[in-house]
Amino acid sequence: MKMKLFATAAIMALGLAACGGGEPAPAEPAPVAEAPAPAPEVTPAATTEIGAAPADIPAFMKMRHDNYEDIGKNMKVLQDNMKLDAPDMAAVTAAATKIKGYADQMATWFPAGTGPESGIKTEAKAEIWTDRATFDAAVVKLQEESGKLAAVTDAAAFKAQFPVTGGTCKGCHDKFRQEDK
Amino acid sequence: MEPGQPPEPLTPVAAPAAQKVWDVPTRLVHWALAIGIATSWWSVENKQMDIHYWSGLTVLGLLVFRIYWGFAGPQTARFSHFIKGPAAVLGYIPKLFSRDYRAAFGHNPLGALSVVALLVAIIVQVGLGLFATDTDGLFAGPLNRHIDYDTAKDVTDFHEDFFNVLFALILLHLAAIAFYLVVKRINLISPMLSGKRRGTNLTGPATGIEPIPLWRLALGVALAVGVVWLVAR
Repeated sequence: MKMKLFATAAIMALGLAACGGGEPAPAEPAPVAEAPAPAPEVTPAATTEIGAAPADIPAFMKMRHDNYEDIGKNMKVLQDNMKLDAPDMAAVTAAATKIKGYADQMATWFPAGTGPESGIKTEAKAEIWTDRATFDAAVVKLQEESGKLAAVTDAAAFKAQFPVTGGTCKGCHDKFRQEDK
Repeated sequence: MEPGQPPEPLTPVAAPAAQKVWDVPTRLVHWALAIGIATSWWSVENKQMDIHYWSGLTVLGLLVFRIYWGFAGPQTARFSHFIKGPAAVLGYIPKLFSRDYRAAFGHNPLGALSVVALLVAIIVQVGLGLFATDTDGLFAGPLNRHIDYDTAKDVTDFHEDFFNVLFALILLHLAAIAFYLVVKRINLISPMLSGKRRGTNLTGPATGIEPIPLWRLALGVALAVGVVWLVAR
């Protein structure tokens, strides 16, 4: 047991040394009730085509960031209701519908020039552009599963579907998002 | 004395008598906290948030018990026994390097500061964790729903950063143990495993701590489980 503690401490020390660097201040999101979506430049369906670079790349990336923030806010509404015995189904449906709306546009949010090569702080990995087929398939999954979530009518179905929908977020994030440390 | 042999008429004096310094609950909670904190760190680093949720709540339960035990436990576990004023803490340092150093019965005044700092840091860390959330909103602490999205983000950032404070205190704790082992030739790890301490330089009652009635232990366990249940339900 003695050894185990030291081993654990050593592992912890290594782990911390690896990520103990200074943390850059996260870009302050502008919370907006109705997040503006970038104008779709391609049809809002799954496509393996990468759109042309937008005219104003920083503004475009800011909008994308705000949209993800708004998805996060709606996820929190769902998460809060997950913890209730009697979820507010009207709030659940509203939040899930918003997420579904964002999911339908998401494939258009990653045109050329809006990745890490832009030099702007982003958690979007270059793999989004180099492996677009996989990325778009993940977006379609989110569309399907958020659609199911928006369609639930009872608490039991909501509680069963939320982790599935959330799993599609996580599945894509694990591969295509560089979490800032 | 070997078990099964008849008691010897004369008590041998060669080996110093063992002094019981740490009771079973205190030792169990200590090691469980070490494992719980290590598990919490490992699980979050590896995105195992369901494990993180439960390891965090386990640490909460252990904390509740330990704080209760600081009032209801045996002498060496009690805050009133080991928390000393600044004079005692400063006075301990020259004693530590004196030739006739005598080991404290339980925590020494300086080590007590470390214990208190660790407990406070774990309270802060677990308290923040109850309100924290992952970036995706897929997993959240049991009390996260009581605060809004932006506050939860701040709390989560603080929860992440504050681990460095807790980790520094853990390193200090381990460094102090290493110091006693190497410089003072005093093994503090073995008493935390066996509960007993041997030596000729001990202080406190020869036989050590008194047993605690079982109902008091049961009450502490019930309290810890109760708090976790109230928080998590």
